[in-house]
Amino acid sequence: MHTDNSNEYVPETYVPHVESQGTKEIWRTLTILGILTVVDIVLYFAMPLTGFRNVVFILLGIIKAYYIVASFMHMKHEKVDLAACILVPIILVFGLIAGLLYEGNFWLAS
Amino acid sequence: MSTDSSATVSTTRTWSGGRSPFDVSYGKLMMWIFLLSDAFTFSSLLVGYGAVRFSYPAPEPLVEKIAPMSHVSHEFVDEMQHIGAFSEKHWPSPDLVFNHFPFLHGIHLPLMFVSLMTFILIFSSVTMVLAVEAGHRMDKKKVGVYMFYTILGGLAFLGCQAWEWTQFITEGATLSHNPFGPAHFAALFFMVTGFHGFHVFSGVVLNVIAYISAKNGVYEKRGHYEMIEKVGLYWHFVDLVWVFVFTFFYLI
Repeated sequence: MHTDNSNEYVPETYVPHVESQGTKEIWRTLTILGILTVVDIVLYFAMPLTGFRNVVFILLGIIKAYYIVASFMHMKHEKVDLAACILVPIILVFGLIAGLLYEGNFWLAS
Repeated sequence: MSTDSSATVSTTRTWSGGRSPFDVSYGKLMMWIFLLSDAFTFSSLLVGYGAVRFSYPAPEPLVEKIAPMSHVSHEFVDEMQHIGAFSEKHWPSPDLVFNHFPFLHGIHLPLMFVSLMTFILIFSSVTMVLAVEAGHRMDKKKVGVYMFYTILGGLAFLGCQAWEWTQFITEGATLSHNPFGPAHFAALFFMVTGFHGFHVFSGVVLNVIAYISAKNGVYEKRGHYEMIEKVGLYWHFVDLVWVFVFTFFYLI
């Protein structure tokens, strides 16, 4: 491999060797995503229309997003540095969305 | 003292060049950064949607009184307008707008079609990871089979979306007017699901290119199937965005 000799390392052509992790985790993630989607639909008809129900839907969406990113997109197996580079801006964007929705309705008052 | 020097050595090794600090290829890192920027784009659409949505009152509580219903007549939209369930003054209840299913005309099936679309996209995500896994084992045949299923899933999703748009437009929804509620409702629906649908379309095109290359043995000759992983990242991102479109447009 290129990593054995630092003089041979060419960033644009470096591809790390990856071993198969098997398919067990894939089926587990599919089961979780399927169940959460069914739970979404059941809760839509079972719960009264309140702000709390919306919070539940958003939390279920974030849990589904976690499983897609961590398992399907292999973020769990990447280096922490890479995960932080991608996920920290996303967490800041969540804060931005919350802030804009909370503070950004001033045009209604005018 | 000794711990300090060893820390310095390992830092130098990771970041002083001669190796990939993140231990990923250049292409994969760039795909991640592109997806991050794309996530910003969808976030801005969601902020716009949220701001407009919350400037209208939530669906009227009387909508819940008419929940036990099995049939949808031709005058359904007119009836809903008559009893005040559809009004320009408040946001419509999604289960009264999205209650159609292909080949089951006239039956009230709230949110069933969009759930089917969600499952189609989740399953095509699974066949995509299976293709990536087969690529790790250098199994050219299996990569081809799973990429084919993934493309089929993507096309099925696009077909469903085309059907849903047709239904929505047939009932009178345009970018500037719709019979269900405020004009912004249909305008935002077309914008956001259209933007997501175009991403699905781009993903299908990328998948077809990767499928043909895999079939032609390009990746086998290259010695690795990383291109499948990179188009896979994009494909999962499309699924990820759908999770939030589903949550914000059909559930909330």
